[in-house]
Amino acid sequence: MGGEPSEKTPVRAKLWDGPTRIVHWALVVLIGFAWWCVKANQTEWHLWAGYGILGLIVFRLIWGFAGSASARFASFVKGPAATLAYAKTLSKRSATDMAGHNPLGGWSVVAILAAILSQVVTGLFSVDVDGLESGPLSDRVSFETGRLFAKWHDMSFTAIKALVVLHLAAIAFYALYKRANLIAPMITGYKAFETDPKLSFAPLWRAVLVAVAAAAVTWWVMKGLRP
Amino acid sequence: MGFQKSLLALGVTVGLATFGGAAFAHDHTGPMPTTPGGKAAHTRQENFKQQGAAFKTIRDELKKDAPNLALISANAAKLKSSSDALPTWFPKGSGPESKYETDAKPEIWSDPVKFAAAVKRLQVEATKFQPIAASGDLGAIKAQVQAVGGACKNCHDSFRVPEEK
Repeated sequence: MGGEPSEKTPVRAKLWDGPTRIVHWALVVLIGFAWWCVKANQTEWHLWAGYGILGLIVFRLIWGFAGSASARFASFVKGPAATLAYAKTLSKRSATDMAGHNPLGGWSVVAILAAILSQVVTGLFSVDVDGLESGPLSDRVSFETGRLFAKWHDMSFTAIKALVVLHLAAIAFYALYKRANLIAPMITGYKAFETDPKLSFAPLWRAVLVAVAAAAVTWWVMKGLRP
Repeated sequence: MGFQKSLLALGVTVGLATFGGAAFAHDHTGPMPTTPGGKAAHTRQENFKQQGAAFKTIRDELKKDAPNLALISANAAKLKSSSDALPTWFPKGSGPESKYETDAKPEIWSDPVKFAAAVKRLQVEATKFQPIAASGDLGAIKAQVQAVGGACKNCHDSFRVPEEK
């Protein structure tokens, strides 16, 4: 891959599991689609996209506890000292052999998930100005509060756009400066390592179980939290 | 240790999401207008909020298994009277030139014929809605809610500054 000469031959090993990759790319597609729906005045489709994103984000949050090693928050959320220590090595031209998110990348994941979560939650309570479409929980708030949620929904999307720009800039930085391809592993799941990290992966049945749970939560929210 | 870090991550995620919203919670606290145009713009916004609230009450009822028909009827009457009064909410000078924050477009005053037609459409739909609401026919009520909302949207599309997209 990178082509850097090293003493050992690189080992191609699995890094990201299927569910993590599917969630990643489905979020890209659905968030883009939801954005297009707003521009094209397709509010009904925008709501469907939002439900899809809600399901994905619920899945990803549970997967952060019950998923494969590289997908777990515990494996990549580091304290300030470790984060700072990693930040100091950023200017080095070689990427580390770390299997998974580095400490800065870990915090970027947390920030992106938080922004998407706030996007979905504000959308649930939003009321549109024509009163034709509104979030499934908008009947829990007044008209004015619902309008305020719509405003926050808009601001939250600005935050998402900023984080996406930062995300792409970081990928470009790693590609050009550190000669590390971060995109291919997120597509294929495999990456070349100097030493095989021997990561453990969650079985398929667990992903199915978590997907069913996420779908159930989403369904319940869609129905306005009614049983 | 792993579990603690997971909790930290979850805490930060929820925290960022919550504070992200809370940071914007106090954003409608501008000074009260003093000019006649500004006051009219402010009053108009209050009126639209009440109209929006009445419409929302109806739509919220329609989501329920057993909608409160009396409440729907009462709010249909509110919609009718506020729609009738609506033309008086736009005195000259209450547009962007009032310097009060408003989404009212100058076209309201520069194209009064088109604006009057858009308002008329709302008045017609709101007037039709009253007997339908009183009939208690949920299917017909839902259809007329779409017609009233369509009239809102029709006017907003031409005469209200679009929201950020």
